[in-house]
Amino acid sequence: MTDLLQLVFAGLSQGAVYALIAIGFVSVFTVSGVINLAQGEFAALAGLVAISAVGSGLPLPAAAAVALATVAIVAVLMERLTIRPVKRMTTLVSLILTLGVSTALKALMLLVFGPNAEGLTPFTPGGFTVAGVSIRYQELWILAIAAVVASAVYWFYDHTLAGKSLRACAEQPVAARLVGISLGRASLMAFLIAGCVGAVAGVLASPIYFTSWESGLTLGLKGFVAATLGGLVSVRGAVLGGLLLGVLENLTAGYISTGLRDAVAFLLLIVVLVARPSGVFGRHAEARV
Amino acid sequence: MSLTVRGLVAGYGRLSVLHGVDLDAAEGRLVAVIGANGAGKTTLLRALSGLIPVSGGTVTLAGADVTGYGPERLARAGLAHVPENRLVFPSLSVEDNLVLGAYTRRRRPAAERAHARDRALELFPRLQPRLQQAAGTMSGGEQQMLAIARGLMAQPRVLVLDEPSVGLAPRLVGEIFAALGRLRDDGLTLVAVEQNARAAFAVADHVYVMDRGRVVLDGAAATLAADPRVTAAFLGGGVSADGGGKPPPATDTAADAGLR
Ligand SMILES: Nc1ncnc2c1ncn2[C@@H]1O[C@H](COP(=O)(O)OP(=O)(O)OP(=O)(O)O)[C@@H](O)[C@H]1O
Ligand SMILES: [Mg+2]
Repeated sequence: MTDLLQLVFAGLSQGAVYALIAIGFVSVFTVSGVINLAQGEFAALAGLVAISAVGSGLPLPAAAAVALATVAIVAVLMERLTIRPVKRMTTLVSLILTLGVSTALKALMLLVFGPNAEGLTPFTPGGFTVAGVSIRYQELWILAIAAVVASAVYWFYDHTLAGKSLRACAEQPVAARLVGISLGRASLMAFLIAGCVGAVAGVLASPIYFTSWESGLTLGLKGFVAATLGGLVSVRGAVLGGLLLGVLENLTAGYISTGLRDAVAFLLLIVVLVARPSGVFGRHAEARV
Repeated sequence: MSLTVRGLVAGYGRLSVLHGVDLDAAEGRLVAVIGANGAGKTTLLRALSGLIPVSGGTVTLAGADVTGYGPERLARAGLAHVPENRLVFPSLSVEDNLVLGAYTRRRRPAAERAHARDRALELFPRLQPRLQQAAGTMSGGEQQMLAIARGLMAQPRVLVLDEPSVGLAPRLVGEIFAALGRLRDDGLTLVAVEQNARAAFAVADHVYVMDRGRVVLDGAAATLAADPRVTAAFLGGGVSADGGGKPPPATDTAADAGLR
């Protein structure tokens, strides 16, 4: 029982990281049909920037802010330079383009930050044990901040004009243009959101899961699977998908074999694509974001 | 605000659909455009509201050349387009659909938007009890009213509508056209593409007949309604004032009636 609780708790905090990355996939995909394979690199880059900012003497909150700003700028530049110029964007074209960006970002990170994996200093070091379950403070930080950020994103789409305009672009792009919403600006805003949630995920995860120039690959993949579990069009689905994936991974690692941990994501992906292409948590296809 | 179209040429990629269309909608007039399926009516509206590129001719709003403007810019310039098939934002509430209709006015005082909302709801009181309902769950007629109301939220000077009556029961058609008539009386310029020629003739000031990408006939509604070519092709008998009656002819009767 204690084992189970321990695994579930660890799974939830890891899943919260996937959930944030999944939100990034959803925010971009709904508005522009782009599957952004550089989403994981947003997280890795944020982690590395935060680590080196702390290394150069900045306090942790300032380092996190620098990381967030850097990734936000990278995401916006990426949209302007690689997505916007394409006349007829299809999901296939977007995969090729963003794979290119992802590779370039990885090379750049390797060049700037070197090949080593490092961990950011935890926001609060240490932890405690309750009912036999050991909990690290950092895991609580992850859960709390991810919950705040996910709620903020949800609130944004539901209650602000800008958020509603993004949903309008996702559901009826032609009508959105006719009421005066610019699809170009919507796409830019979607990338900005993706950059921000990716950066938060990267900074939160780094103290526990470590960051290197290539950790974006796994993070991105897991986030993508989580988003797909939710049908790729729903923030709520992405969050649930992330948490589910995190828990299942940890249960598999704990009860079956650690080596199978990373296989869980692929298995889930195959099962979902075969059984329910619209996602496990996707309700009706219309309700996007 | 008047809308003038001169020699408009447009199409889809290599396919040319409009071959030089002229159209005038003077301020405060309701102009109807009728024509068989595939005549290019929707294409005309798409071209003049910037959804598809224009390869020749001009579009003028209140004397200012707006040819080649994108739809976002035209929306800001005072043109609202109620598209074919309504295209409401399905998962958003009726209220939010209206809010987004006023997107171009988002930096104006809230009182202005509230005023536009009141007027739109006054015109379509059926929307009032459904404000919190998801737009996609409304009936076709309600969605059509919402689409028009959303267009009005921008407080446009020119409103173009693509088949506002399609798929609606005769009574609703009458209701919608009566609403358009009231908007015209308030000074709005309207261009309505319509399959239901009876309903169109009943309220329009001027009617254009399109065929194969060209305007083949136009004139004051009363004059055209008496034209035997029009009665044969589109009215199938007398014009009734209630906008009801038989559904429009499904076949291409323009040729039979000698419009080509
Ligand atoms: N997106 C498109 N791509 C290519 N061709 C198109 C497109 N939309 C319309 N067309 C073609 O342009 C021509 C005119 O179509 P349009 O939709 O303007 O007709 P319409 O007069 O609105 O007809 P309806 O009364 O059936 O709505 C048709 O031959 C149609 O096949
Ligand atoms: Mg049409």
